[in-house]
Amino acid sequence: MTKYILRRVIQAIPVIFVISLVSFWLMIQAPGGPEAVFNQNPHITHEQVLAWLKRWCLEQNPDVFGVVREYLGWVGIWNCDAGSLFASSGLPNFFPTFLGGGTNGILHGDFGLSIFYSQPVSDLILSRLPATLILMSTATVIWISIAIVAGVTAAVRRYSLYDNAVTFTSYVLYALPTFWLGLMLIFAFGVTLRIFPPQGIIDARSSPAPWGTNAYWAALVANPIPNLLDIGRHLVLPVITLVAVSVAGDSRFVRSAMLDSLNQDYVRTAKAKGLPSSRVIFRHAFRNALLPILTNITLEIAAIFSGAIVTETVFSWPGMGLLFYEGVNNRDYFLLMGLVLIGSVLVVVANLVADVLYAVADPRIRYD
Amino acid sequence: MATTPKLTAPVPAVAPAVDATGAIAVADVEVALESLSQWQLAWRRFKRHKMALMGLGIFGVMVGIAILGPILIPYNPLDIPGSPIPGGTGPALSHPFGTDNNGRDVLTMVLNGARISVAIGFFSMSIAGLTGVIIGAVSGFAGGLVDNLLMRLVDVLFAIPFLFVILVAARFFGQGSVVALILIFGLLSWPLIARLVRASFLSLREADFVEAARAVGVSNVRITFRHILPNALGPVIVAMTLLMASNIVLEAFVSYLGFGISEDQTSWGNALSNAQTALIFGNWWWAFFPGMAIALTVLSINFIGDGLRDALDPRARL
Repeated sequence: MTKYILRRVIQAIPVIFVISLVSFWLMIQAPGGPEAVFNQNPHITHEQVLAWLKRWCLEQNPDVFGVVREYLGWVGIWNCDAGSLFASSGLPNFFPTFLGGGTNGILHGDFGLSIFYSQPVSDLILSRLPATLILMSTATVIWISIAIVAGVTAAVRRYSLYDNAVTFTSYVLYALPTFWLGLMLIFAFGVTLRIFPPQGIIDARSSPAPWGTNAYWAALVANPIPNLLDIGRHLVLPVITLVAVSVAGDSRFVRSAMLDSLNQDYVRTAKAKGLPSSRVIFRHAFRNALLPILTNITLEIAAIFSGAIVTETVFSWPGMGLLFYEGVNNRDYFLLMGLVLIGSVLVVVANLVADVLYAVADPRIRYD
Repeated sequence: MATTPKLTAPVPAVAPAVDATGAIAVADVEVALESLSQWQLAWRRFKRHKMALMGLGIFGVMVGIAILGPILIPYNPLDIPGSPIPGGTGPALSHPFGTDNNGRDVLTMVLNGARISVAIGFFSMSIAGLTGVIIGAVSGFAGGLVDNLLMRLVDVLFAIPFLFVILVAARFFGQGSVVALILIFGLLSWPLIARLVRASFLSLREADFVEAARAVGVSNVRITFRHILPNALGPVIVAMTLLMASNIVLEAFVSYLGFGISEDQTSWGNALSNAQTALIFGNWWWAFFPGMAIALTVLSINFIGDGLRDALDPRARL
């Protein structure tokens, strides 16, 4: 097993490498660039623009080699300041910093600076992480519980009125565009009925400090109940949106996994033995249906950031999805690269975890 | 499985048990002496699927609207009347779906939007389907190094967070063009189809009828496209219908964010794109109707996909 995991990790490295190269290439080659903000400003000369770009290790309208240099600079192999492959110590730039290599690039653990915010990308991402984690963990726990309960009960009462109702509801929910459902919820509960706040993560007027600042965390620790309640109220609409759409797909999946397992011979045997039906359903059928469900959940967790983009932009939720949206809007290359890298590493890891879980949960599966 | 006592043709179809989705619980029982092609059989099975037929009807209406709607409706979607009403006006007789901030008729936007939205869904699906089938077929038939390389490419595309790339590509390359969006959606969504095709090719490659064809001396290209592909097509068609639905939603989202279709064209997503600011003032109709159009279309396509899944499943023929 260890060998298998190791092999998969080694296989993943070129995949991540190609993803980062392709996304970098895509962004750099697209018409326009971050220097476009200076187009309207007559006081900024061409030389100043070039110098500004140089600070970011970028070039104006780079050729193929230029893009490669920029990419290698982001990775940490190219030393942009010196314009060479070698660090100031004379050693290759990609060497670890304490051995005399450079300091720039992913290889040195540096995600670079955000062009728009002039802050380290890692700081920006970390500052947005809590909001995304709060939203996604709440939504995931709720949607998985609902999907499992709905799917299993529907499968047990196959073709009953209840099963049909669950199936029909999930079809309708599945067809709703996530962002549109969010808009409608905002209108109904946020604007018309005014039950839940339509946007944001905290109430700016009543909260002691802006979200994410150290003062806010201090206030949260000092006075947790009203502040947590405030976050909770803001959570309701985005969580409903996420849960509604995700439950739709997952309850269908759970239902069909459960049906498969209910049709197995050992379930018939268990019934024939005269076991109580609750025991048959939970001990015999559900435990075996859990395997594909587990795998599916693992893969969905990897897709959380994609899901976050939709929900967070609609609800102005200050998480990583909104950060990505802002990054696309501002052409913030290094911020986007950081987010793409994290997102794709998550997908690769989740795939690996899903495969390993499969082997752990099902003793018949062996990887050698 | 019910048994068929007689071999007279055609036996009246036994009414199959149908659940709410219309999934046929009991395979249709049919012993016909007239020979039916695979597609005729599939159509027969599809017709039994009530929800799928309904989906086909709704989708047909949508396509009809896309073609005829703009001709029948007197307003120009981009025409901004002389006196815009801030916040728009609610649904009324003259404007059944209301108007937007600029006084444009929402019904007209929905009807016109059908054209671009359905077109983007359809053409991006076709591109993805074609690319996926070719790459999957080559990969599954050739095997070896080619297969390995192509599947690594698929791995890469699977590992990229899809929405990330779509948004970056749409914003940076799309520049508001419909054709660019179709290409972006099509060229980024084929990996699933390639995997499906490859998987069925791997098993069909060893099938007896392929062996027979090879023994007779049929060329590789002909074996691939005439003998294997038609048998592998069922799941692909289902996946493609679902892809069309998801690409319509994707277009709506990308345009909603302002990264998609430019302002001087109308799609459902575009009609939604400024709706959020308007919602605060209480004019729900601006966002509601285009969204309903998307939801209805997607629902109908999903039902069609479901019907196709049962109709094209060769095991359902028993």
